[in-house]
Amino acid sequence: MTSEAKTHAIDIASMQRGESNLNLADEQITLQVQDLRLSYGDKEALHGINMDIPKNRVTAFIGPSGCGKSTLLRCFNRMNDLVDSCNITGKILLDGDNIYDRTVNVADLRRRVGMVFQKPNPFPKSIYENVAYGLRIQGINKKRVIDETVEWALRSAALWDEVKDRLHESALGMSGGQQQRLVIARTVAVKPEVLLLDEPASALDPISTLKIEELIHELKDNFTIVIVTHNMQQAARVSDYTAFMYMGDLIEFGATDALFTKPEKKQTEDYITGRYG
Amino acid sequence: MWPVPATEKPIVELENANYSTHISQQFNEELEKIRTQMLTMGGIVERQVSDAIEALLNGDVELAEQSRRIDQQTNAMELMIDEQCTTTIARRQPAASDLRLIVSISRAVADLERIGDEATRICKMAIELADSGANQRGFQEVRHIGNLVRDMVKDVLTAFARNDLEMAYRVAKQDKNVDQEYRTAMRSLVTYMMEDARAISNVLNVIWVLRSLERIGDHARNLSEHLIYQVSGTDVRHQSLKQMKQTVQEEAEGSLQDEGNEE
Repeated sequence: MTSEAKTHAIDIASMQRGESNLNLADEQITLQVQDLRLSYGDKEALHGINMDIPKNRVTAFIGPSGCGKSTLLRCFNRMNDLVDSCNITGKILLDGDNIYDRTVNVADLRRRVGMVFQKPNPFPKSIYENVAYGLRIQGINKKRVIDETVEWALRSAALWDEVKDRLHESALGMSGGQQQRLVIARTVAVKPEVLLLDEPASALDPISTLKIEELIHELKDNFTIVIVTHNMQQAARVSDYTAFMYMGDLIEFGATDALFTKPEKKQTEDYITGRYG
Repeated sequence: MWPVPATEKPIVELENANYSTHISQQFNEELEKIRTQMLTMGGIVERQVSDAIEALLNGDVELAEQSRRIDQQTNAMELMIDEQCTTTIARRQPAASDLRLIVSISRAVADLERIGDEATRICKMAIELADSGANQRGFQEVRHIGNLVRDMVKDVLTAFARNDLEMAYRVAKQDKNVDQEYRTAMRSLVTYMMEDARAISNVLNVIWVLRSLERIGDHARNLSEHLIYQVSGTDVRHQSLKQMKQTVQEEAEGSLQDEGNEE
């Protein structure tokens, strides 16, 4: 090709969607799950899960009810410790350190791995105090620092413009969608590394849902996000990687683009196309 | 409403072709309907091609006129099927194989419609040639290439009906032969025109016909590429036959891994 012809050449690579060439092998890994088994009493709910959660990406867990996706999500900040009959073997490494190690301080772990639940659960306090709460229990008292962090967190959660004039009103007066974003602001205020979202939008209307999804997209620059969702289209919209779980096994895990156009396993295909498994 | 497809082919129901049933029965029926309509359209187009070639070779103006009128129906069918595809995407957000089926059919009807257009062009030439009472120079080539191309269209539609990738691959391969024959025919007709300048006008018409047949072959190859994408998920457009063959073989070996392989 002559150099003249080259000046007219189109750079196809630059036209592709940024997310279209994701490959797990190229990612930095934040969380590593190694042969994780979990049982409630004598019933095993997770049968040896192995997976790597990439840093600064959105990873979605999908699967039918009872497949273990929420259970797995709760393992990432040891929420299952609260369940008496729960027994866990295997490892989860956060930046290389096993979070189930005896020396790990669970409160500290949960600061590093924040979680947001299905129903928004703001404290019955002012909007400001909700976000400042995590900072205060960390012993931060300087008003200037707290003010700045509250504003930063509320801006991160795309809520600042809506609430900046009523920061000291009760959080319970907000709409469900706003409450959920407030909870996300409260979670990000302590600057965790990982954000776990358990059905964060399933109790919200479609517009609030889109706002949460947009928020997830913006937050991934700063956080590693893991989301559990029943809504397959939502997983397809927001995530970079998708894991399909079934009956306590990880069936397929890969780039979302590939999983939703060309899944490798028949079970995945049947589930995402809405067929009998 | 539509004419019955020219050939009766065993249409494999989606359910039997390694697809399980959707939980939504209605979705199942929608997909099945779109697919059946596309195959019906294929049947009509196949008939158009075969009629066009017959009309030309036999100087049958009546048949040519009749075949030209059918083109409006295939145009309408293209629009209708394409609209159903769009609606299904909007309403059902299909994923994986369902999505590929819709995309593939949406592409396929465009190619079918173009085949219909080429057949119409052949009919037009058939009428002109019959009216001019020309000698039959080049008709042998038309018959030969016409047969090859007609079989390609027929086979690729059968492949669609049965989700048969091997057959689709054979159609794509046949396109190479058609191109070869087309070049040979072109050389001999050019030689003939140099010898007899008075025949140029008529021979040019025959050349247009050959050109249309060659284009139909290309569209048949496109159709087989759409089917390979639909079934395997690999886009084989603008790829060599060798790469296409590899995709077909991998699909035959791999298919979707079943849960049985898990444990």
